[in-house]
Amino acid sequence: MQKTEVSKKIKISFELNNRKINMDVKPSSLLLDILRDELGMKGTKPGCNEGECGACTVLINGNAINSCLYLAVNANGKEITTIEGLVKNDGTLDHVQKAIIDNGAVQCGFCTSGMIMSIKSIENYYLSQNNNVKNKKKPNKEEIKKWLEGNLCRCTGYIKIIDAAEKVLINEE
Amino acid sequence: MNFNIEIPASKNELIELLSEYKNKKYRIGAGCTDLIMELRKKPEDDLTVINISQINDEDFNNIKLSNNKIVIGANTNVVKICTNNEVVTNFPTLKEAAQNLASNQIRQVATIGGNICTASPSGDLICALMALKANLEIIDFAGNKRSVSILEFYKGVRITDLKKSEFLSSIEIDLNKVNPKNMYSGFIKIGTRKSMECSVVSLAYHIQLNENYKVISAGLAFGASAPTVIFAYDACDFLINKNITELKNNEIDEFANHILKYASPIDDLRATAWYRKQVLFNISKSILEEFSKTN
Ligand SMILES: Cc1cc2nc3c(=O)[nH]c(=O)nc-3n(C[C@H](O)[C@H](O)[C@H](O)COP(=O)(O)OP(=O)(O)OC[C@H]3O[C@@H](n4cnc5c(N)ncnc54)[C@H](O)[C@@H]3O)c2cc1C
Ligand code: FES
Ligand code: FES
Repeated sequence: MQKTEVSKKIKISFELNNRKINMDVKPSSLLLDILRDELGMKGTKPGCNEGECGACTVLINGNAINSCLYLAVNANGKEITTIEGLVKNDGTLDHVQKAIIDNGAVQCGFCTSGMIMSIKSIENYYLSQNNNVKNKKKPNKEEIKKWLEGNLCRCTGYIKIIDAAEKVLINEE
Repeated sequence: MNFNIEIPASKNELIELLSEYKNKKYRIGAGCTDLIMELRKKPEDDLTVINISQINDEDFNNIKLSNNKIVIGANTNVVKICTNNEVVTNFPTLKEAAQNLASNQIRQVATIGGNICTASPSGDLICALMALKANLEIIDFAGNKRSVSILEFYKGVRITDLKKSEFLSSIEIDLNKVNPKNMYSGFIKIGTRKSMECSVVSLAYHIQLNENYKVISAGLAFGASAPTVIFAYDACDFLINKNITELKNNEIDEFANHILKYASPIDDLRATAWYRKQVLFNISKSILEEFSKTN
């Protein structure tokens, strides 16, 4: 059991984009704040800070969560992926990022990293379901929309974003 | 928002902490999706959060079948509830409520225990669990256990029967008396938009029929139209022993009125009280009308 004195920091360790991190955090720090302000991962965006918009979406053990409503101490022992972690070592973009660009699914870009992380979480879910299965399951368009219901975009509109998601999740082998 | 934290690793450590904090200020945090929002709006001084989300206990974090019951650990997240096979086949009302709670991101972390203990009048899982007449298993700081029906758990706006130094350990639901094909169960959520909505009105129904469509058991509950989620006792009694395919229009109206009479909604930014009542009446009727159409 970890015990704390008033405002004493807590030691946590986790993997961030395949890099081991050991750090001390305030008990009340949110994951969003330590990612942006202490670890320099500014790709994760603060939007509403209320769990409504999805701009702050990151992956924890492959699943999408809102980092604005997640206590930093609960990152302990987990694998965290932010938008910065999708780029390959040689600088090539992930295929979700490419599909978003190819479909013109970005305007101001504020929602984009959250959208991409959510689309990645759908891909991860189907990868885990299709492990060693012959007839690979794929989501349909309605299911994709349902998965993305926690991500708002105020400028591009959703058509191009969903097209990009379909391209990666349905059309690509 | 500023607080200290305790992070128990097991239920026993949690019990020890509850005893230690008996006379101190603390809040339990599970998924913390409600708690963080609350503490941001109303920060408290010298607060300790007892963070139960790292408790490593199979029963506390999962769903299992035991002795004609389904037992759901209080720390089970909402995603597990809407994808669990037992829940999907036996309790469609709970599955549908879970599937339409917030967003995928929130369903990953929000827990069933948090939904129950927040005691929101529009709590979606509360509504479905009332229709299922679930029992809540509670443990106190000395390790004593007690059980209370969810129908008796809510005492007022966001007030529950849970005492200081107690925590919700699990939720138990009796398996159906009939096989799934003789069950009529679902959840209707009406909001101002389709996704991420906080309900304007919600209605959970779980009705079991015999081979001749006679109702042998009924559970009906609604949300967002009274200070707490409400179980409509008289509407359930009204249906018992009736053939659900032979209800006349005036009987369907009478049934809907048996639900509506429990409603005491308010005007707020999402809807007026008048609108909430109309919608509740219409969706109550619709469940019986739909049954006749689809069977
Ligand atoms: C953007 C957004 C959308 C939402 N949409 C919906 C929705 O559509 N429908 C809906 O019903 N809810 C919704 N909610 C509310 C919330 O997500 C749910 O109520 C959720 O189930 C709470 O679970 P939690 O684990 O996060 O609770 P927490 O925030 O951890 O806890 C909530 C309360 O319960 C207490 N508590 C938690 N676990 C226990 C326990 N085991 N024993 C005793 N006390 C306990 C805590 O002390 C606290 O007071 C939404 C929230 C947000 C932020
Ligand atoms: S910033 Fe987290 S959901 Fe909007
Ligand atoms: S591109 Fe501006 S919010 Fe989506």
